[in-house]
Amino acid sequence: MNWQAVLVALAPENVLLAGIIVLIGVEIFAQRTRGALPISLGTVAAAVAAAALLASNGYVGTPFPDHFSVAPAWSLAKAVVLALALPVLLLSRDDFSEDGQFHILVLSSLYGFCLLLSADSFLTLFLGLELMALPVYVLVLLAFKRPESPEAALKYLVLGGTATAMFLMGVSLLYGGSGTLAISAFTAGLRSADTMATAGVTLILMAFFLKGAIVPFHAWAPDAYEGASIPVTAYMATIVKAGVLLAALRLFGTEVVSRPTDDLLAFLPLVSIVWGNLAAMRQQSFRRMIAYSSIAHAGYLFYAFLGDGPGRFQAVVFYLLAYGFMNLLAFASLPAGDDDATRDRLDNLKGLFQRNPYAALMIGMAMLSLAGIPPFPGFVAKFLIFRNVMTAGYTAYAVLGLVGSYLGIYFYLRVIQFMFMSAPAPETSPHASRRLALGASVICLVTAMLVTIFPGWVIGFF
Amino acid sequence: MADATLLNAVLFLPVLGIGLLLLVPARAEGAIRWMTFWVMSMQLVLTALLYMHYDAATAGLQFETRIPWIPAWGVYYQIGLDGYNILLVLLTAFLGPLVVAGAFTAITKDVKLFYAMVFLIQFAMLGTFVAQDLFVFYLFWETMLIPMFLIIGIWGGERRIYATLKFVLYTAFGSILMLAAVIYLVFALQATTGVRSFAFADLQHAQLPLSVQLVLLSAFGLSFAIKVPIVPLHTWLPDAHVEAPTAGSVILAGVLLKMGTYGFMKLGFPLFPDATRYLSPLIMTLAVVSIIYGACLALVQDDIKKIIAYSSISHLGYVMLGLISLDLIGIQGAIIQMVSHGLTAAGLFLMVGMIYERCHTRELSAYGGLAKILPVYSVFFMILTLASIGLPTTSGFTGEFLVLLGAFKAAWPLHLHGNTYPLVMSASAVLGVVLGALYMLRFAQSFLFGVAKVPHDPVTDLNLREKLILAAIVAAVFALGLYPNEPMRKTELAAKEFQQRVSAVPIPGSAR
Repeated sequence: MNWQAVLVALAPENVLLAGIIVLIGVEIFAQRTRGALPISLGTVAAAVAAAALLASNGYVGTPFPDHFSVAPAWSLAKAVVLALALPVLLLSRDDFSEDGQFHILVLSSLYGFCLLLSADSFLTLFLGLELMALPVYVLVLLAFKRPESPEAALKYLVLGGTATAMFLMGVSLLYGGSGTLAISAFTAGLRSADTMATAGVTLILMAFFLKGAIVPFHAWAPDAYEGASIPVTAYMATIVKAGVLLAALRLFGTEVVSRPTDDLLAFLPLVSIVWGNLAAMRQQSFRRMIAYSSIAHAGYLFYAFLGDGPGRFQAVVFYLLAYGFMNLLAFASLPAGDDDATRDRLDNLKGLFQRNPYAALMIGMAMLSLAGIPPFPGFVAKFLIFRNVMTAGYTAYAVLGLVGSYLGIYFYLRVIQFMFMSAPAPETSPHASRRLALGASVICLVTAMLVTIFPGWVIGFF
Repeated sequence: MADATLLNAVLFLPVLGIGLLLLVPARAEGAIRWMTFWVMSMQLVLTALLYMHYDAATAGLQFETRIPWIPAWGVYYQIGLDGYNILLVLLTAFLGPLVVAGAFTAITKDVKLFYAMVFLIQFAMLGTFVAQDLFVFYLFWETMLIPMFLIIGIWGGERRIYATLKFVLYTAFGSILMLAAVIYLVFALQATTGVRSFAFADLQHAQLPLSVQLVLLSAFGLSFAIKVPIVPLHTWLPDAHVEAPTAGSVILAGVLLKMGTYGFMKLGFPLFPDATRYLSPLIMTLAVVSIIYGACLALVQDDIKKIIAYSSISHLGYVMLGLISLDLIGIQGAIIQMVSHGLTAAGLFLMVGMIYERCHTRELSAYGGLAKILPVYSVFFMILTLASIGLPTTSGFTGEFLVLLGAFKAAWPLHLHGNTYPLVMSASAVLGVVLGALYMLRFAQSFLFGVAKVPHDPVTDLNLREKLILAAIVAAVFALGLYPNEPMRKTELAAKEFQQRVSAVPIPGSAR
């Protein structure tokens, strides 16, 4: 084994690992409650830089042949999604006051995410998926201030476990048929007419639908999102979702899907788009609304798989970038409330423009972007996906998906209506300063502006 | 090129305005109002300069900018002036300062946000007009929704939330189908010609069979028809108008409604000429139904804003009729009618706003004999009423007369060949003129004459600011009525191009 190659190729993972070790050390020996945030921020920033460097140098390597490989496009995807973690960490200050546990768990989960994007075998993929998900079960529980949290964590754990079981079952069927653990067995299974291979592929696909919260496997998402604290919800809605989608993207590779997988790939996501957008209309809780919105967005993302290989990668990564940062912009700008439950109520947003014009404008912008209304980044992202779907010849699915996305406009506008057009709710007591959350929102805002004004330049990278 | 810089400056001046607004504290309301006013006025001056330097003898784009924006998709930031948009750009810039000045006393809540939204919608409207790339056009087209949503929703009347959601959900539905059509059209262009582009000029070369053209025209057309609005897609308009603040109504009636007819003229009809000719009986029928139905509804309203809202539906029906006549005079008339309606409807909505500020009711039956109490107001009101009816020497006459002339001129040869339907439709459209006179004169009669009554005593006549605003509009109305030749010279080449493009011999392979 070439140790130098392992050091270089795994640079982002190594940085994260070093950060985790330092955090554990600090936690054990220093017995301080402060200082975890700068360490984890620095670690993630360094990991982003490492991944970006690997990408810009065009580094290609396979430190662990057949299991783990590094390619520039995937390093870039790593950098993009790891960058999403920066605002998440910044806005965690208010809920976790630099709790070391929180940061260790987040970094571990990020490590799992990085593994996913380099996985060449089902073994690595499984390792990555589990390492990404397990810390999140604990993170949901960490909020614990509310009775819903343990219930949410348990629900998430049980259904996440089911997904894992389905995934493993599918892998073993594929392994039984092909005798290999390489992920290329998946695309081979897609092409094969063998019943066992088809069953394996379908099970794996269902596992991803469950983890990505696609209808009818979505029921856990609203409860888990609502039960978690705000930074954890933000983490689940953006990074975990990105991890699942990118892992699926890696499985599919550049394979062009054909019948009957294409109908499966188009139909359930279409139902998710429609159902997610419809169910979000009635929500009173911000996090539940975001959960249903994320169900719809998972639908758009899986839609992208209908397109051809390179276009698919570009569409998914760009979408995750736009969707992730705009979602985080909304979370970072949520106004302070007396407690977690108050902050979560949509009513708390009423009259926000009078109290805090900046926050209202930021949330408004995030909502419009999530709704896919130009000129915000969400529009270009959605355009990219539907363009690919239509170019691949699925005109009817593209039109139905667009009409489904129209249904979503109402509930996003409802949030804006609350903030700008409703009388303010009874004044909530002023909360501690949220300067770090402000910093998080500025990061998201700058990214959003960049993507809005120079979409061509940003797309050029992927 | 310095000329192109001027057009960019006009377009981005509102963005600069928003930037300047951010620097002014929200409490300095006076400063905010005047700053907005001066920025808008500067925009008008620059637009007037553009108009004067626009060469009527040159076809195609002038003051053009073309910069790659998303190279991978062939999207260019491409803007320019041509005969299609020159008058509408001037109209938009002209109404800008008037809208701002008209809202000086009416808007007292969240003043800073209000003027930022006025700037934003001005930016989006101008951008929609000058865009020469379908992607850029769509961006601006959709961006218009957001400020209008807020303007109606924040500063509107009692049922503002209902009205603004209805407005947005109607328009967004059209837009989403248009987006699907845009994606398909660009894909079809690449598939048939190998050109990857969103430029209007390139998209005309896409070889589309009639069946595809029909679907795409329906998708584009639905979006445009909702904006116009054409009956039966008009139901959002009365609600939006009634609930919007004066400035919102003025922008809506003055410019926003023209987006639909402009869309048909610039995109819908020329991009899908075969489908347009195929559907022309249907489009003509809908136009005439809009003219008559709008007029009939205006006849029975008691809310003075609703009267003008329904009259807008009727007047824009003429624009559609002129465009679909495919006769040079009719097309020219349609363009003039767009500008004319922009001026008279904006003026009338401003006047309704002025009386509403004084009396706080829009019920027609609450007023009477205003000529005795408010002489200056009444004079302006009468002039705008007559312009709306289409009395000779006003802009309304030029527009409606040319449209009808063109419609008859196109219908007569068809009649001689045995197709009488267009002639019947044109004749029915004349009924709209009679109904127009009826509802506007009924309105003016009970509003201005008869026994003097106002719901709120004492009422003061117009102040200097209001007089100046209305004087500017009235001057423009007369200018367009007395000397329409000058603006029509600038639109003539575009009208000819439109006519040739849409009435050209069908392309091979798309025979009916």
